[in-house]
Amino acid sequence: MDTTINRRRLLSAAVLSGAGIVGATALGSLAPEAAFAADPVEVDPGAPDPNFVEGRISSITGTTLLVNSSDGSLHRLQITVATSIWKLHPAGFEAIAVGDGLYARGVRMPDGSLATDSLWLNIVNVQGHVAAIGRNVLHLDHKGRRIVAHAVPGRSAAVYNGTPAVSDLSMIKVGGHVQVLGAWHPDTNEIDIATVYARA
Amino acid sequence: MAGIYGEASWFCCGNAWGPCASTGHGACGTCNSGSRQHAWPNTSDACFAITHPDTCGEPLSRRGCGFKHYTTNRCNGLKVGTTIADCGPQTDLWCGERTCCGSACGSNRIIDLTASAFSAISSLSVGVRPVLVDVV
Repeated sequence: MDTTINRRRLLSAAVLSGAGIVGATALGSLAPEAAFAADPVEVDPGAPDPNFVEGRISSITGTTLLVNSSDGSLHRLQITVATSIWKLHPAGFEAIAVGDGLYARGVRMPDGSLATDSLWLNIVNVQGHVAAIGRNVLHLDHKGRRIVAHAVPGRSAAVYNGTPAVSDLSMIKVGGHVQVLGAWHPDTNEIDIATVYARA
Repeated sequence: MAGIYGEASWFCCGNAWGPCASTGHGACGTCNSGSRQHAWPNTSDACFAITHPDTCGEPLSRRGCGFKHYTTNRCNGLKVGTTIADCGPQTDLWCGERTCCGSACGSNRIIDLTASAFSAISSLSVGVRPVLVDVV
């Protein structure tokens, strides 16, 4: 927990000191798994989370992202050297693009912006039935719609019944039920697979 | 209710982008990805008929919309409080699945957290975590 508190202090300090204008790629990004923060602000069960943002990026100015949430609200996200960024895999600031969908967690600054601790770009976690399998691609039926999920050589992994992740996706069967954690291609029905969970 | 050990994943609901855009506000009509909420496999007879946690040996109690659960990520001890806002996960499709962090393991999917709730206790880039679900 001390690590988390120190990280949050670092994040706030980075924003307040203007370190956010230092490109995150200068130091690279931290792996999201190690970077998410425990929330020191108590949020009532069922309540909207003030330190969480969902939406799409409408503009990028310096290291500030303007985000349109799907409920119509607007948010400013500040990216700092302490922000961890995920876009199919841990990424740097240069991976961020206008039009990307996102989930973000961070700390609210006095001006209402979010000093972003963790940023997940285009991340999706969908379940569906495998309608067809092609070369490096799964066609999924998801809530009555088709999703085309691409296997990315060297990146995509499969977890069968909770066993350690492997690169071999060949045990996935047509008609089977799968969960795909991946990255959406904006404004399409296509995603890249980070991890596909399946029953062998 | 004694705490229940199992697996948790995350899902999106409410107004959303991408493949989540067609999701809607869930069985309770209140679900939003940005709120501290979750899906529970036994919110009603109709829900139970879909999720069938009993086929995996999970005796999950009937809990209605708005019921509070507290989920602890057994990989790091972080805990989040949420209320029921949807029916799910479809436990019977994942019977026997097992997720571990070292010696801390969970079997069978017993809860789905919204993106907001899951991200309070784990990175979203991790799809499944072993958890303890309790009412306190």
